[in-house]
Amino acid sequence: MTAVPPDRLPDTDPRRHVSDYFRLERWEVPPPPGEERPSVVFGRAPVDSHQRGPGGGIRIGGLLTGIDSLGGFASGLAVLPQWIVTTSLMATVSELTHVGPLRLRADVLRRGRHSVVTALDVVDEGADGRHVAAATMTCAVLDPGAMTLEFTRPVVVPMPDPQPDAPGPGEFFCIEPGEGPVTRLRLEDRLRNPWGILHGGAVAMLADEAACRAAAARPDAVGPDGVAAADVVLHYLRPVKVGPVEARCTVLGTRAGRTTVRVAIHDIGADDRMVTAGSVTVLAV
Amino acid sequence: MAFPGYPPPEHLLGDLGMEAELTTETSARVRTRVTPFVASPDGGVRAGVLATLVDIVGGAIAARVLRPDWMATADLSLQLVGPVLGPWVEARGTVLRRGRTTLVIEALVVAVDEDGSEPVVDGRVPDPVAWASMTFAVLPARNPDSSVQFAADLPLRWAFDGGTLDVPVLDALSFHVLDAPAGRASLPSSPYVHNSFGAVQGGVIALLAEAAGAEALGAAAGGDATSVVVTELQVAYLALGRVGPMVSEARVLASDPDGRAAAVVELRDDGADGRLTTVVNVTAVPVAAAGRAGALA
Repeated sequence: MTAVPPDRLPDTDPRRHVSDYFRLERWEVPPPPGEERPSVVFGRAPVDSHQRGPGGGIRIGGLLTGIDSLGGFASGLAVLPQWIVTTSLMATVSELTHVGPLRLRADVLRRGRHSVVTALDVVDEGADGRHVAAATMTCAVLDPGAMTLEFTRPVVVPMPDPQPDAPGPGEFFCIEPGEGPVTRLRLEDRLRNPWGILHGGAVAMLADEAACRAAAARPDAVGPDGVAAADVVLHYLRPVKVGPVEARCTVLGTRAGRTTVRVAIHDIGADDRMVTAGSVTVLAV
Repeated sequence: MAFPGYPPPEHLLGDLGMEAELTTETSARVRTRVTPFVASPDGGVRAGVLATLVDIVGGAIAARVLRPDWMATADLSLQLVGPVLGPWVEARGTVLRRGRTTLVIEALVVAVDEDGSEPVVDGRVPDPVAWASMTFAVLPARNPDSSVQFAADLPLRWAFDGGTLDVPVLDALSFHVLDAPAGRASLPSSPYVHNSFGAVQGGVIALLAEAAGAEALGAAAGGDATSVVVTELQVAYLALGRVGPMVSEARVLASDPDGRAAAVVELRDDGADGRLTTVVNVTAVPVAAAGRAGALA
């Protein structure tokens, strides 16, 4: 498959760099001949030790990266020769502890002229198919412009090999160490997607990390093992083009071990404009 | 009333006694009185009623920002945060982004006193009741599907006049449980719950999903719908529910007796060949874990 602007040939492959970090295998299952509906796209990813968080499983930011990658792929295939960009992502997490590998499934629910709505389901193959998360994402349909989109159908992307000494998600996504309500990400070129903007998965990981840091400052929000992000709502309002990127959090309240954090993400280098807004439910674990 | 002919005299929005105010060009607030008839099992206001409230505040803002174009709710999320102290709950909405085809709005829901001020408890303003966000799809002006024709200038304040809700809101909606463990329930499509398109209003859709999800999650935990409190809704609107009845089915994802439970609720328009209209992710906690949400007025 090809989805690279002709004038941009970076050292890392922007089509797969982020999904390769999570070793996401993908395959397309087209509808039977004669049926006019979008393909179902499946994914599979191990839960490598360096990706685990305090909840015992993969960090939710990482899970959302896989969901965004697979759902975006399914949505894009559904509107070819046009392509898509994610505009909102809503995820409900039912299980924080994962054995792995995780199996993902993306079904296009609605294919409109301006938008595509896709449902995603994640189960844990290593835990007898226990449910992990359900998500709904909406993508805007775009003219791909100079980007060429060539796919050998049905699309099959094998699982990448393990990376020795792979960094943790914070380091991989260039999230600066710190604590408190503001968390910053350095926008390195390898984190840009084929459109040249910050990968949606990186935004999700930043939201996860930032919300957890903000909640951790509140003693009643922290459990014996700390905190872990669970349900997430993100509205991708504008593309992140310049950087650095800053997530500014407001802890709205804590109840029954759940802390609700509002997250506003700004592109500091682009007049500090707000690029993403949403909420993260942080659990005491 | 802001929109001639809508809502009709007998309508849920009138019965909820909602009062709206456009506070700036891009913000508004809408409030409704807290009564036992809109209460959830923990004494708070049902998530679906709060979803109705934020859908109205979002619609009020969108109507002003987008005019002469019109809009339809594409997605809505709601997270319950803190206690409901009453006697009113108020949704305060503002625009996050106005694009060519979509409008994104967020809303904070807070408890307010009769005079609109936030109550002070133990020297501090309590946590907000909920946070919500919505995406509206922009529809071209003069959409023939809409029964609403704008007045030349929208009023800055209005109230949805009507009766008074004197029965539980689900009874007023003729909500009917068919199979609790499966989250199968139905709700007729009638002018009482219609939006300006003549379809079931988006907040009512969220309320149906909340109630159906509670039925399934309560049953999965060995109890009933009154043993859990829905704390989060993530609603994706795919199509209008025009014919009815609207029917639900839930898939329980997890049910921990001591902790969180989650389900995916699908809503279909039974009279329109079972067309899938809405997918809703529902999260709940046991009533005992939620604690008492707050005193009712």
